[in-house]
Amino acid sequence: MAKNNYIISLENIDTTYQGDKIPVINNINLKIEYGEFVSIIGSNGAGKTTLLETINGLLTYSKGLGLIFNKEIMENKYEIRKKIGYVIQNFDIDSNAPFLCKDVVMSGKTGKIGSFRFYSKEDWDNIWYSMSLVGMIDFANRPIGKLSGGEFQKILISRALAQKPDLLLLDEPLSNLDFSSRKQIEKLLNRLNKKDHITILMVSHDLSFIPSGCKRIIVMHKGKIISDGNKNEIINSKFIENFFKNEMK
Amino acid sequence: MIELQISLLITSIIGAILAGYVCSTIGVFVVRMNLSSIGFCMSHAAFAGAAFGLMLSIDPLVSSLIFSFFTAVILGPITEKAKLESNVIIGFLFSIMIALAFIFINLIPGQAASGVSLRILWGSIFSVGYNDILMLIFLSSILTIFILIFYKELMAIMFNRKLAESSGINTKLFYFAVLFLTAFAVSLSIRIVGGLLVFALIINPTSTAYQFFYDFKKIIIFSPLIGIISCSIGFLISLYTDFPIGASIVIISAIFFALAIFFSPKRKKIK
Ligand SMILES: Nc1ncnc2c1ncn2[C@@H]1O[C@H](COP(=O)(O)OP(=O)(O)O)[C@@H](O)[C@H]1O
Ligand SMILES: [Mg+2]
Repeated sequence: MAKNNYIISLENIDTTYQGDKIPVINNINLKIEYGEFVSIIGSNGAGKTTLLETINGLLTYSKGLGLIFNKEIMENKYEIRKKIGYVIQNFDIDSNAPFLCKDVVMSGKTGKIGSFRFYSKEDWDNIWYSMSLVGMIDFANRPIGKLSGGEFQKILISRALAQKPDLLLLDEPLSNLDFSSRKQIEKLLNRLNKKDHITILMVSHDLSFIPSGCKRIIVMHKGKIISDGNKNEIINSKFIENFFKNEMK
Repeated sequence: MIELQISLLITSIIGAILAGYVCSTIGVFVVRMNLSSIGFCMSHAAFAGAAFGLMLSIDPLVSSLIFSFFTAVILGPITEKAKLESNVIIGFLFSIMIALAFIFINLIPGQAASGVSLRILWGSIFSVGYNDILMLIFLSSILTIFILIFYKELMAIMFNRKLAESSGINTKLFYFAVLFLTAFAVSLSIRIVGGLLVFALIINPTSTAYQFFYDFKKIIIFSPLIGIISCSIGFLISLYTDFPIGASIVIISAIFFALAIFFSPKRKKIK
């Protein structure tokens, strides 16, 4: 088999949750090249989160072949995860959680630094830098449980950036943000993709939440990829318009 | 004669302090990693194990270690999967352990329900031997080194296990490490605090510390401190009043917790 040039290469992938019989995503074929900025859209329950977690091996696929950085996912999961930044779909954090924002951002680097090593000055500089990228440097010493939804979301993004990832998986990262924060993060993502050559795969539940740097859209429905192509084509196609109209009903 | 008394006293207070240290240190992780119910079950398994040891006249420390490790090995994977049944299974195993403990106690040779057998129920100042102290020192060192070396991994896992796993940490390894250290801590502390109350020493000081701080570093310093202070005061109360030491320690740690709730800066904000 020739070594391919894809950062993500999924062939005929099924993922089934433990205890379930029917796969939640099935027969997924997806190739993403290094440096792409791709958005996945689809309604709730379409399988977008499941797809992201199959890519970083949090979920084990039951069929097909998945390669990330040209390595089989499950056999190399700890190795590949160190190069993947993951921003989890918003979760509830205990408002008394005993962690400061800087600790949370720092925890993104932990796996990459590896065991038996402590944080160096460089690591810390990198942490401050990641916090300033999302405009959250002033929150470094605030308790994580005391942030607004949008601020928390930005800390999670900066946590993923602190990891200095080659690939960013973002699960609805813009959904909690107000207009100006959203524009700020969209700009940041565009820049990370263009200047730092980070490949981005971003889940979004809404077509209007797609940054300008994103050139390719994948549409998921009921566990399948039903459309994959150029952003403008997809947005302008009657297909999507009808699709979302039907979904609304 | 008097010298003997004093050395016994010193051994006991060192034992109480070390038990306070190990339990309230591991407690920080048990609470934050949602291992409370499994830890609860393990400490009662250790209790049953201790009774088992006394029944067969083998070292109760060894048998309680075996019982609580065994519980961790069974329950670990079940709770790992976070299936709904895990709490049912924990409750089931817990009741079996308590039942076994009472059966074993009844079968302890000599006068059942007296002397030795009652000590493992609620602990005793003077049941601490030199060997126990050595083991407690050993466990304290292991625990301290474990935390110092893996501080960053532990913190990442406690913030969010899924995110920690996704950034390349083998979180399962750390879950089992914490479970085994818990088994060790409860097995070693049972003779001092007693099988029925040892888990309170894991939970109370930590819960007290959590009332005050948002910074994990402070919690990992203050929880053991509160544990040690509770154990020292409990020891003195027991010494002067003849109350069972386990009960004294747990009451003191519970008072600290109640005060903490009352004065907690975290709770004041609720208007
Ligand atoms: N842990 C789980 N166990 C079983 N089924 C799940 C689990 N998580 C999600 N699902 C199911 O998988 C489907 C896809 O979910 P998900 O990937 O979260 O969708 P999306 O992110 O597109 O909203 C849904 O039908 C959901 O009910
Ligand atoms: Mg989702």
